[in-house]
Amino acid sequence: MNSYYLVNLLIFAGVDIIACLALNLQFGVSGVVNFSFIIFQAAGAYAAAILSMPPDTAPDFSFQTYVGGYQLAFPLPWIGGALAGALLAVPVGLVALRKLRSDYQAIALLVTSIIANTVINNARPLLNGAAGVANVPQPLSDQLNVSIQTYQFLYVGVTAICVAIVWFLAARIVNSPYGRTLRAMRENETAVAALGKNPTALKMTIFIVGGAIAGLSGAILVGFLQVWAPSTWLYPETIILFAAVIVGGRGNNVGAILGALLVPLGFEEVTRLLGRMNIGPPTLIPALEWVCIGLLILGFLWFRPKGVVPEQRRVFPGAPAVEEETRWVVGKGAR
Amino acid sequence: MSLLIAAFGFGLVSMSVIALAAVGFTMQFGITNMINLAYGEVMITSAFFAYYLNQAHLSIWIAMLGGAAFGAVFSFLINRFVYAPFQRRGTVLIYMVIVSLAVSLMIANVMLPIVGYFSVSYRERFSLLLHLGSIALTINQIAIIALAVAVMLAVHALLRYTRLGKAMRATAANPMLARNCGIPTQRVIDLVWLITGALCGFAGVVAALDSDSFTIASGAGFLITALAAAVLGGAGQPYGAMIGAVIIGLVTELSAAVWSPDYKQVVAFVILVLVMVLRPQGLLARRGALAAAG
Repeated sequence: MNSYYLVNLLIFAGVDIIACLALNLQFGVSGVVNFSFIIFQAAGAYAAAILSMPPDTAPDFSFQTYVGGYQLAFPLPWIGGALAGALLAVPVGLVALRKLRSDYQAIALLVTSIIANTVINNARPLLNGAAGVANVPQPLSDQLNVSIQTYQFLYVGVTAICVAIVWFLAARIVNSPYGRTLRAMRENETAVAALGKNPTALKMTIFIVGGAIAGLSGAILVGFLQVWAPSTWLYPETIILFAAVIVGGRGNNVGAILGALLVPLGFEEVTRLLGRMNIGPPTLIPALEWVCIGLLILGFLWFRPKGVVPEQRRVFPGAPAVEEETRWVVGKGAR
Repeated sequence: MSLLIAAFGFGLVSMSVIALAAVGFTMQFGITNMINLAYGEVMITSAFFAYYLNQAHLSIWIAMLGGAAFGAVFSFLINRFVYAPFQRRGTVLIYMVIVSLAVSLMIANVMLPIVGYFSVSYRERFSLLLHLGSIALTINQIAIIALAVAVMLAVHALLRYTRLGKAMRATAANPMLARNCGIPTQRVIDLVWLITGALCGFAGVVAALDSDSFTIASGAGFLITALAAAVLGGAGQPYGAMIGAVIIGLVTELSAAVWSPDYKQVVAFVILVLVMVLRPQGLLARRGALAAAG
């Protein structure tokens, strides 16, 4: 029981870290406010589910309806999940990121997230509607002849490897010339365009990379939970991740990881503990949790907009000293 | 054919509801430069306020005024204590969107334990059905249409023929210049929040009445249709929002008649996507009503 709980916690930590790293690349590093982030995680989860499940005519699966069902071997569903996230990012990005002003982009993406959920919720033949897909096979669980406990720790290990790969990748992106261009775009899009960079192309690439990573996080999650339904990817889930990146320190991978551990995970834990104490009606604690997430966002944007671990100033050797206030101030920039 | 005519009747009701919601939303954006994503939640909160008045044996039409007053005060307070301080700090627009989303989340979840998950209805939800050819509308629905027309005319009169309307348009066009001309922009903006808040509360009660039963979760849906109409018409422009409401109201009801009512919001969304791809500035390309003449 206890070890199951620990495993649960570690997997969620891993998934949240991966998701926050991806969101940090988009929101923190590039300034793309992706309010539809969670749909990319959902796309990855659904893709991984249908790639690993048998067709819905199979005996144990006939209580649900879904497209596909390919029974692919282990790494393929996860790769498929990442691919699905990346593929979904293409049309969404083409609509939202091309012509619109940044605040329009944000609301367009938010609406996309809400509508995508409505569609999947109502269109039952596609992915089993509101009930969602269940009985998703755990990767390699039938090939590996180990106890449940060992299997769970193996799962944690694989998740940790994925976290390490994503972290490495994110660090490479942040520190590369490409990452520098992304940061420049975040600070001043017009200036970047004037230097011959194409902001739309930059946004599209990071949107797709982030989408792929989000898809991977969904695939990891669904392989462990074995269920995935529209109620698990409502738009407020994206806001939690935003809160995590804002609290941790946007534009900063370490900040994103810290945020992932503090906000989604920390809150989950606190609510669970409070939930045991039976305070008030059952809806009270989860509702208060959301209120706290809102307060956390407002509080950090007001008191500490750079987060717990502020992004480091990157200074070229020999560059003239710049006043601290002139960069990465929330108040800077034209609308 | 008669199905389509009947759907047209419902379209008239829908567009009235959407117009009420969208005009307030778009005016907030046009004049105060604030994309207020908490708008849908303020709507539903006002609808619940009216619900409690209604439960206390007030007629829904009086409760509606109560809802509007609640919406006005609530919006004013949100602006005073959250948005305005952040704006004064010079928070960029995109962070203001995040702030309003956080506010939206907080309102919904403060309300949840208070009003519960369950769907509720106003006492007057059933009313007499009138037939006009193939169009069958209840007295409530006809009243909603009449109210919406009256409110639209009032907004038009406010913007066009009053000093306050002129001051609002000036503030929308260029706040700095307006201030230099002696317009008390701060007071104008406070009034804008009160007026648009009243519209928001009013729209919330009307939308709740129109949808028979409602829950606290209905707020997100209200927001999407208002957003779609406002963006379609060109954000920040009341007349654009009215046109947007007409189009979205008609198209969603017609699609519900020929396809499925489950996808009303999806149809609104498809319109939104088309506008964003083909004409991101909205139907009224120039800044219309809210910009200074010339």
